[in-house]
Amino acid sequence: MNILLVCAAGMSTSLLVTKMQQAAKEKGIEANIWAVSADEAKAHLDRADVLLLGPQVRYKLSQFKKEGEARGIPVDVINPTDYGRVNGASVLEFALRLKQ
Amino acid sequence: MNAFISVLEKYVMPVAGRIAEQKHLQAIRDGIILAMPLLIIGSLFLILGYLPIPGYNEFMAGTFGEKWLEKLLYPVGATFDIMALVVSFGVAYRLAEKYKVDALSAGAISLAAFLLATPYKVPFVPEGSKETLMVGGGIPVQWVGSKGLFVAMLLALISTEIYRKIIQKNIVIKLPDGVPPAVSRSFVALIPGFAVICLIWVSRLLLELTPFESFHNIVTVLLNKPLSTLGGSLFGAIIAVLLVQLLWSVGLHGAAIVGGIMGPIWLSLMDENRMVFQANPNADLPNVITQQFFDLWIYIGGSGATLALAVAMLLRSRSQQLKSLGRLSIAPGIFNINEPITFGMPIVMNPLLIIPFILVPIVLTIISYVAMATGLVAKPSGVAVPWTTPMIISGYLATGGKISGSILQLINFLIALAIYYPFFAMWDKQKVAEEGDITDAKMDSTMT
Repeated sequence: MNILLVCAAGMSTSLLVTKMQQAAKEKGIEANIWAVSADEAKAHLDRADVLLLGPQVRYKLSQFKKEGEARGIPVDVINPTDYGRVNGASVLEFALRLKQ
Repeated sequence: MNAFISVLEKYVMPVAGRIAEQKHLQAIRDGIILAMPLLIIGSLFLILGYLPIPGYNEFMAGTFGEKWLEKLLYPVGATFDIMALVVSFGVAYRLAEKYKVDALSAGAISLAAFLLATPYKVPFVPEGSKETLMVGGGIPVQWVGSKGLFVAMLLALISTEIYRKIIQKNIVIKLPDGVPPAVSRSFVALIPGFAVICLIWVSRLLLELTPFESFHNIVTVLLNKPLSTLGGSLFGAIIAVLLVQLLWSVGLHGAAIVGGIMGPIWLSLMDENRMVFQANPNADLPNVITQQFFDLWIYIGGSGATLALAVAMLLRSRSQQLKSLGRLSIAPGIFNINEPITFGMPIVMNPLLIIPFILVPIVLTIISYVAMATGLVAKPSGVAVPWTTPMIISGYLATGGKISGSILQLINFLIALAIYYPFFAMWDKQKVAEEGDITDAKMDSTMT
């Protein structure tokens, strides 16, 4: 499971990465999770199974959805509350659900 | 207030989204990002050149010789002073990428177009003379630095548009089937490149007949000057801050969107200061409003100056939820990252907290502007400090080692705290009440 997180500079999503990795470990899920900035994202898309956008860059959703569809990768925006509270477990679950 | 938010949602968001998605603006922003690491590296050498320690100059001159400063600043000449070259390549590369045409060729053609628009004449003052002569034989440093930024961006956009239109219309040199693809690919750029070069060449010849004489002069007069005057004014700064805060209020990355448009202007204003500072570190610098002005003095803790809120939550909240959010948001807040606060507290779509969230940065902008414009506090020296640098350190470094920069940050932090506090207290009270309800409800359910 490869989960790519994207925000403006890849900074605040990197906070979430740590929490999601912890959650994955607790659940015994093999997951590769990383965060990049929006302008780097394209180069990372091919290695991802699912792409999640920070709510503050949700205006990029349509653009990334197009890119995702071409590669069969689900793309969606992270719930703002989960994002703010850095709720790794909940976002991980969201990613897993998207992938199904 | 709810009507206000729905207006934001309905009218501001789609427009902001479209602006942020606009290909050319995105290419400009991404192209400038390419130059940023170089500017930060150059800044390190600038800082070392002008450390405000008594006796530093004498010590350095004694250790490394009289010309130590000139030699130390060589990297500045290869980072700050070639900004336009990097941007010229970067913008074209990023735009071509968006059109899915060969980005490397587009970058190379754009670079050629930019230099074609630049007269290879450099000012020269012969010894014993007071008159400046223009002599040939050198690429002028003044135009490949920040002063050439707008020409570089403009030509990058024009040349890449021509390049991709010709390629997409499939007007290319076609070679027979047996030719290896790598060879035929190298010919693809030939026709569009030729078209770009011819266009710029003819335009330059025509411009040389006018009083403007060159691309650089006409762009300086028609674009640079008016944009810098507007973008560098207090009024322009307040509008920019207001927009950033409004966008964040509906949960959009305001700084990334507004910065995409204002970035080149603030960057060239910043470099104007850098050039004056480099010539004389004690000189009065021309501009207050630069990229650093916003990043380091206004957005302490992130957009909205929310470090004050993080501290308030950490130390003073009675609600469990805000207390734990305070613990969570303080470390990122020190490095000016505040999404845990904007989305977690939340400020986004929260009528109560949006009020101080918009008010605080505007108040800080006015105070900081006045403090710097009157000379009470040193202006940003053009040293590029990354926006993630914690306050006090960043204010000291960005002013070229002036303690007044740090003091203003501290004052701004306290002002932010004072304005945010009553709103924080109200929100905290509401949260305590909610938490009480939940515990009551739990008790009730266990009792029945």
